[in-house]
Amino acid sequence: MQLLEKNEKYEQYYLAALPVVTTYIFELKKQWKKFVIFTIMAISFVILLSHLPYALIPDNPLPDTQADYFQSGLNFIILLTIFGACFFFSGIICSEYSEKTGFITFPIINKYKLVVGKYLGALTLMIGVIAAFYIALGVLGIYWYGGPINYRYYYSFGIALLYLIAVSSFVTFFSSFMKSVNMTIVTTIMLLLIANMIIDSLVILLYPEFEPIYSLNHNSQLISYILVEDFPTKLEDRYEDLEFRNFHRRIWLTPTIEGAITIFLLYTVICLIVAAIIFKRRQL
Amino acid sequence: METDKLNRIAEEKSSIGPIEKVGTGLKTVMRLENLTKKFGSFIAVNNINIEVYEGETIGLVGPNGAGKTTTIKMIAKLLRPTSGKILVLNKAGKLQALNGNDKDLVRFGFLIDQPFFYDMTAYQILRYFARSQNYQKEKINSRIDELLKLFKLFKWKHEKVNTFSKGMRQKMGIIQSILVDPQIIILDEPQTGLDPKARIEIRATIRELQKLGKTIFVASHMLHEISEVCDKIALINNGKIVAFDTIENLEKNLKEKELHCQLLYPIPHKDLESTIDRINQKLEHYANHNIEVPTPEHNHSVKYNPEEQNFTIYYDGKRESRGEILEILMSEFKSNNKIISFSQPKTSKLEQIYLEMILEDQPRDGGG
Ligand SMILES: Nc1ncnc2c1ncn2[C@@H]1O[C@H](COP(=O)(O)OP(=O)(O)OP(=O)(O)O)[C@@H](O)[C@H]1O
Ligand SMILES: [Mg+2]
Repeated sequence: MQLLEKNEKYEQYYLAALPVVTTYIFELKKQWKKFVIFTIMAISFVILLSHLPYALIPDNPLPDTQADYFQSGLNFIILLTIFGACFFFSGIICSEYSEKTGFITFPIINKYKLVVGKYLGALTLMIGVIAAFYIALGVLGIYWYGGPINYRYYYSFGIALLYLIAVSSFVTFFSSFMKSVNMTIVTTIMLLLIANMIIDSLVILLYPEFEPIYSLNHNSQLISYILVEDFPTKLEDRYEDLEFRNFHRRIWLTPTIEGAITIFLLYTVICLIVAAIIFKRRQL
Repeated sequence: METDKLNRIAEEKSSIGPIEKVGTGLKTVMRLENLTKKFGSFIAVNNINIEVYEGETIGLVGPNGAGKTTTIKMIAKLLRPTSGKILVLNKAGKLQALNGNDKDLVRFGFLIDQPFFYDMTAYQILRYFARSQNYQKEKINSRIDELLKLFKLFKWKHEKVNTFSKGMRQKMGIIQSILVDPQIIILDEPQTGLDPKARIEIRATIRELQKLGKTIFVASHMLHEISEVCDKIALINNGKIVAFDTIENLEKNLKEKELHCQLLYPIPHKDLESTIDRINQKLEHYANHNIEVPTPEHNHSVKYNPEEQNFTIYYDGKRESRGEILEILMSEFKSNNKIISFSQPKTSKLEQIYLEMILEDQPRDGGG
């Protein structure tokens, strides 16, 4: 008797999870090519920026430590994450509407399950791309400096993933109300790259003392700065003041660790909740 | 006798009646109750009531923009009704309103508008649809092959659907809608973009599905395409159901029997009114008095169309009358106008009802 009940319960969970799992697998297959392209791109950029300059140019001095080497190599990860997230996540909701594809399995299957499956699928692939970047850079770090890998490099990977999740949630949010996939890609890239920078500079001009804690850009600096040996604990160590004749400008080097993680999580939660609400109300 | 009476009562109340028609065992699988959809101030679907019984094939027929797709999208939960309810049979055999909790409903199959698909092969897409709806794993491959063969797409099983022609994609849409063996199948214009052979195949498929006891709800703007496979027709125009009945009953209600009479020369303008009045008087006897004549401006049984110089005559439909009417008209137009043809219109009766009902309905005001 009990066994039967247990089976039934198992069956229920299985049925509830099935659409998510199948959609997840389908998403992996669907975006597979994109994944290969992005992975190749990630590895090529690592080699191009962090290997060839030292291998080909004889007098080019290597950074002092492995950590410094990683820190300079990781600058590109921000661009890679933004572009990757925009390409992998832009279609997540809006393509279903613009191309009238998936939701044909209505109304029995909860549409959230399909989106969750797609989100997880795309996220898995993007994690793969980021991981490929870290592995390639890590291997080069061992090649130039010998092992083992500085443990702070793993922290950096963790923060890069949090940043990825925040950015992809941001893109998902746009996908929930934009009309077409291409528009979503263009808009989110513009916002994440250009608008973010413009807003940051404006805020710094208007309120020179204010730390732009809200900014994804500012917080993303932690990905590479966490590799610094003695991570600044005092506020005044986290910025540099530039004095240029009578022009004064504050340059922020890094956010605090707790601050950045909180902001990444806030972006993720808020964007996904708003996206879910818009998605619920959206009609074909 | 008692059950007969009960049946009739049940039928009369069918839109609000019990789930089972008493005695007949007919079970309601879907019911649209006062369903309304507004886009802004524009009413696309206006308070429609339709009851669908198990195993029935219902045709939702109406001209472009009548509200067919809107209705079907509401059933598919792609649009939210402005008011009204959609009730669907659940696995426990009860009617259940569409809301968030729909996993207990019987299986649905949908073909909505023009289907588009992911950039994947036919096989991959169908397999995904089948798996996500928990179709038995062992049977999926044979089911996909069977359907691809039925619709002559088997050759393209491993080709990307994005490279398919419009008609091929439409076929994919139909395959997808019946893939997991749903109990209720809802098709929106299944014949668009298909060649004549494929259209016939679709009708054949619908017949096959009927044999399996499926309930089918199919929308079309071409009555003749689907009338032969439908048990009942719901005529929809300007968002309203103007008639919902079996084809037989609809034909029985055919308002007027018509005759067309073509003149060689037009009636001179000055004589027009008097001539028509005279003919009307003479034909009074043959007019169909049971039902109102569909000429709103004057309640006469003769209508003259000056541009084409012809008459439409509504009469009682008796064979003798036809000859006598011809005689009367011949004598009337003997000298100057000359009758060159005298015939019954060729369109099928049902087609005529369709036209009549749609013409009768006032054009809607306000845009969409
Ligand atoms: N999203 C929308 N916003 C505003 N108006 C709409 C919308 N969708 C449909 N309509 C309007 O609702 C009316 C009914 O459209 P619908 O697509 O249901 O027609 P249809 O019966 O399917 O016609 P067809 O035979 O051309 O497919 C049309 O006048 C259309 O303009
Ligand atoms: Mg339509």
